[in-house]
Amino acid sequence: MTTRRELFKFAGGSAMGLLLTPAPWRLITDTALWSENWPGIPRPARGEIRAKFTHCGLCAAGCAVRARCVGEQPVSLAGVEGGLCPFGVTGHHLPYHPERLKEGNRQEAAAAMAAAAMAAAVSHSTPERRVAVLDLRPGRTASWTYRRAMAAIPNGCYLAPEEPACAVNLAAAATVLSLGAPLLDGWGRLSRVFAARPNFRLIQAEAVESRTAALADQWLAVQPGTETVLGRAVAGQIGTQQAAEVTGLAAEQIEQVARALRENGPALIVAPEMTSEVLAWNLPLGGWGKTVLPRREAPVPGNWGKAAPVTDWATLKDGSLGALLIDESVPGAHLPWATIQPKLAADAVVVAFAWSRAGYARHATHVLPTAVYPEALGDLPAAIDATAAEFRLTVPLVAAPGGMTDPVELVSAMAGLDAKDALHERAAAIYAAGRGSLRTYADGKSTAVKELKPDDFWKGLNAGGSWTGGPENCGPAPKLKEAAWPEEDTGALWPFRLATEQPGAATLVAPLMAKLSQESRLRLAPHSAAMHPRDGFEEGARLVLETPYGRCPIVAALDESVPPGVVLVADGPEIADIRSADGRARVVRI
Amino acid sequence: MRRNVFIFAGVLAGLGAGWAGFPRAIYTSRPEPVDFSHKVHADKAGAKCEDCHGFRDDGSFAGIPTLEKCAGCHAAPMGATAAEKHFIDNYVTPGREPQWLSYARQPENVYFSHITHVKRAQLKCEQCHGNEGTADHLRPFEQDRVSGYSRDIWGGQGRPGMRMADCVDCHRRSAVRGSAQAGERSCLDCHQ
Repeated sequence: MTTRRELFKFAGGSAMGLLLTPAPWRLITDTALWSENWPGIPRPARGEIRAKFTHCGLCAAGCAVRARCVGEQPVSLAGVEGGLCPFGVTGHHLPYHPERLKEGNRQEAAAAMAAAAMAAAVSHSTPERRVAVLDLRPGRTASWTYRRAMAAIPNGCYLAPEEPACAVNLAAAATVLSLGAPLLDGWGRLSRVFAARPNFRLIQAEAVESRTAALADQWLAVQPGTETVLGRAVAGQIGTQQAAEVTGLAAEQIEQVARALRENGPALIVAPEMTSEVLAWNLPLGGWGKTVLPRREAPVPGNWGKAAPVTDWATLKDGSLGALLIDESVPGAHLPWATIQPKLAADAVVVAFAWSRAGYARHATHVLPTAVYPEALGDLPAAIDATAAEFRLTVPLVAAPGGMTDPVELVSAMAGLDAKDALHERAAAIYAAGRGSLRTYADGKSTAVKELKPDDFWKGLNAGGSWTGGPENCGPAPKLKEAAWPEEDTGALWPFRLATEQPGAATLVAPLMAKLSQESRLRLAPHSAAMHPRDGFEEGARLVLETPYGRCPIVAALDESVPPGVVLVADGPEIADIRSADGRARVVRI
Repeated sequence: MRRNVFIFAGVLAGLGAGWAGFPRAIYTSRPEPVDFSHKVHADKAGAKCEDCHGFRDDGSFAGIPTLEKCAGCHAAPMGATAAEKHFIDNYVTPGREPQWLSYARQPENVYFSHITHVKRAQLKCEQCHGNEGTADHLRPFEQDRVSGYSRDIWGGQGRPGMRMADCVDCHRRSAVRGSAQAGERSCLDCHQ
């Protein structure tokens, strides 16, 4: 008779025996794999895998993108002829950003109210109450439509940030002095920058050791906000001794840099904004036609000639804008709100075309949601490293949800313009010019425009192709006015200098990037400010950052790699709203 | 002695169940919809792997061919086998796509780039798929009851495994760019 005790012995023996087999370990593995498919875990679409091509619309560089799609859904983005920055790689997540403005029940009513307010502003416009469009990314076909619309509207004006004074050709440079430009971190097209990188020596002048500074051949740790002074010294506009006192570098170091640029040419000086002053520093180095070139624009239809010019902010009277329409549907330059607000009338209508509430939507009277990259069809302005005219489309990879506003359509309708086919018309004008070639990425071929039919040219562009105009004569070097010198800052009122991480790349960041940056501390979290321990604040101290334009709360994160006197913050709309060109700042305790 | 008999018996039963019974019980086995012969197609028709499992113009891998591809040759019987007759009667004539069961299908969160491995790394098909291309019959598809994955992820019979560790091992052995040795690893290369 088998006893209960013996049965337990048998069961114990069986358990021991099973432990010596793969069964329990496989069950653990299988259960872990099964848990990947629990209900509630998002499952990517199944279907045929295809490749689509487009251009990244997250910055003006507009890198060519190969999107791997399952069915119609993009699941992975990669650069076509080289790298793609981390923001570009995760660009297809943006349509699902939790902070995205979505269509609401009142969306239709909100759009109607905004349209009515704009129509009223247009009908009541006077030279003292003008209607304006602020285009944050000038140089697009949409920009032309805005300019045409503002020319058609009485008292209309077109506002835009200053466009670069020139294009650069890194491939022709042997020595590059970068005055704080994030050259290796998304400033130009990464594929071109890294293709040219082995052939030039990079000297990075920057207060903090940015990623570009870390990868440069030489890093000059200048005092924050004094990069321009170094540029002037290298160009011989001021003495090296004087520059040494301001920048904190040794006079011999500055002379050495100037000598390297003169003797190891072709040389190139770049800055985050390629202003006419930076161009002027390049001319004596013999860079014109080699490392610095005129910016070329793709041909436009002849009947677009009647377009409003860019209105200079300085000439705009305070309180003279009765309506301001801000196109924030594509990321671009951010003008501090403190510079915009004085120009508005007390009861001005401000309409922000935006995909999130983080930017100008905070200040607008009406906010209309727009499509986000990669949903919207548009074109890109010539990149900073475009050596010839270019025309590239941001071809949509996914359809935009319903209820999104097309700012171009709305503004053109307000002016009575028919601009629905503006992109197609522009492409037809480029085709009619008959020069240049179309590069299609699927087969890697370049075909002369003359060998294509008009329809094939348009189809090629819509398949993610890129038109490049042929080489053109640069002409004589431009004669430039001497730049005005900024006002002196004794340092007593503004003892700190504000430096930002990855400037201009903060408004559109996929949630994955935010998660990675928070968990890995690869990037500073919003509202965190890296400061040197000698600045006198303790870790985690709650502070207020003040600049001539405003104030913003920050939390101190001590970091010995940040020079004393520098406040290093993550870029973002709040920081962009208060940042001045020279970075003057002070920090106070709450 | 009798005291330990039950323990030994239990151990033996556990070992038997774990080594012999468990592998049979954990998998479900399903036949493919058509008994396709790679051997016949390779030997008699002279077909190469890429004739049916090719790349599209955009570089993406076409995978298992669709009915359209098969019907190009098999609109009418080319031989006298029962398998071909079954295929034509049940799939080609009614225009019904066969629901092939893929042995080497990756889970949803992973993408395996065939073109990178075949065109760039010059790997032969059989290095990963074993002797599949010369087999006269299709094996039944075995699926793990718990995880839902194909049995082939564990490798065997001349095929390497398909787990992430297997990918990493192969890349380390080959010292390819992107391997751990090169210090360049990107999650997004494979995980989507």
